[in-house]
Amino acid sequence: MNQYARMIIVLVIISMASGAVLALSYEATNPKIQEQARQKLEQSVLVVIPGATLMEEVQKDDMTFYIGLDDEGNKKGIAFKTTGSGFNGPIEIMVGYDPKEGTLLGIEILSMTETPGLGAKIQEEPFKGQFKGKSVEDEFIAKQDVEAISGATISSTAVADAIKTSLAKVVEIYPVGGDF
Amino acid sequence: MAKELFFIIIGSVFVNNFVLSRFLGQCPFLGVSSKTETAIGMGMATTFVLTMTAVAAYFIQNYVLAPYGLDAFLQIVSFILVIASLVQLVEMVILKVSPTLYNAFGIFLPLITTNCIVMGAALLIPMYNYNLIKSIALGLGAGLGFTLALALMSGIREEMEFHDVPEALKGPAIVFITAGLLSMIFLGFTGLVPLG
Amino acid sequence: MQLMKDFVNGLWNENPIFKMVIGICSALAVTTAASNGIAMGMALTFVLTCSSILVSILRNVIPSTVRIPCYIIVVATFTTVVDLFMKAYFPALYEVMGIFIPLIVVNCIVLARAEAFASKVSVARATADALGMGLGYTWAITLISMIRELMGEGTLFGYQVMGESFTPWVSAILPPGAFIVMGILVGLINIINREIAKRTQSH
Repeated sequence: MNQYARMIIVLVIISMASGAVLALSYEATNPKIQEQARQKLEQSVLVVIPGATLMEEVQKDDMTFYIGLDDEGNKKGIAFKTTGSGFNGPIEIMVGYDPKEGTLLGIEILSMTETPGLGAKIQEEPFKGQFKGKSVEDEFIAKQDVEAISGATISSTAVADAIKTSLAKVVEIYPVGGDF
Repeated sequence: MAKELFFIIIGSVFVNNFVLSRFLGQCPFLGVSSKTETAIGMGMATTFVLTMTAVAAYFIQNYVLAPYGLDAFLQIVSFILVIASLVQLVEMVILKVSPTLYNAFGIFLPLITTNCIVMGAALLIPMYNYNLIKSIALGLGAGLGFTLALALMSGIREEMEFHDVPEALKGPAIVFITAGLLSMIFLGFTGLVPLG
Repeated sequence: MQLMKDFVNGLWNENPIFKMVIGICSALAVTTAASNGIAMGMALTFVLTCSSILVSILRNVIPSTVRIPCYIIVVATFTTVVDLFMKAYFPALYEVMGIFIPLIVVNCIVLARAEAFASKVSVARATADALGMGLGYTWAITLISMIRELMGEGTLFGYQVMGESFTPWVSAILPPGAFIVMGILVGLINIINREIAKRTQSH
């Protein structure tokens, strides 16, 4: 067998073997990966809507909403995702909102790459917790009605701004006092 | 749009320098930074390959992998093979077109395949969901950031040859500490442009 | 005996991080918490060992002209397997590591061992060498990440170790801290090696 043919045969066999191994491991892990992603999403929705034990996905306009339901099927609130421009990259936030009262139920940081020890404190309760009960009428300005983390004004502003902008859109879809 | 492109480039060169803050491309950063001339040659060769890779990665991701749902398990294999062939291709073209250019930075080309800055930038494009122009900006910015870090380090290392370095820190140790100080300086750029 | 020698080689004499100073990107990037160090070390050891074994088995089959593309395919395949596995079973860790798990594919340690060692020796020796190099890498980056976590957050593996009065030195978990801790460790290892050399000489 000449050198040239052998070269091609070896390459083809190795690529095919590699493809087979990859397809098999993808088949084996994919259900688990999907499940993990779904679980993570559901968990964050249930955290930002207190009292909810189940969630339901709804598409309205070009936004995805997650409606939180309790055991009896009562609607406890809606949740939606928004993204802010942080210090080192995007900050993904899940926001819980009660359209009846026009107030926030809570927020959760889904992913971020802020500075550990400074901007990363947006994930901690003292910062996250202050959004609970805030009204859609509020200004959401860091250092005024939103307490900024000292040394991390940009990260704090990014979260506040992202919530404010997305709320303005959400209020048009789910007006305050209306049903959802 | 122009503003966003500017942000991406400034972001990759200064705020999140690919070498000093994202830690990509450390091997050439340590290995080819002892002389300014070679450092700049390496930087330019890498910038060229990075920009081409960014274009290739964008098309492979959006027109080959994603439409058929292959990106979850064929992304790594296809990106690395494309980078390896691209580097080969560039090497052959440069050799044919301009032997002088080849002598200037052709020797660096084989090293670029395993430079993780190229693979890293390719992987970031689907992650950030960049369009073609933004992808090019990312590749160019990554390359310029790499060149800047390499040029700065080589300048310092040329100067350092005339100074007493503690015996134990000679070699890579002092380079790491110098890189640490450079990286601290680059921290000063954080917040210059909004990212993400 | 030879196998033992191949194994120990990577742990100290030719430690990839502290002595050969290759594969540094991940060692600097993910070492912000001790648990990341161990996870990254295990992921790399897996890819390195599997690739070395396969390269050694195929060393007489692969024509030398196409060996590099073959090695790249082998390494990329195992890297993807680790990538998928971590995404499925350790999603939190996977998120922290970001692109550095897929970047194992261009980690100089893996390709260097395949090209310089595994392609020339028996399967047993290639395995011993890969395990030694992998463990050498693992202990090195675990040490770096423990130091950075302890100084930067006052914790180890997430448990509070430092007392109330300890003020964390945040820089340790920021990029500059990685370079400086790494530089000091490489310097220390140089000193230890010189001492060892002196002692063995005087005996």
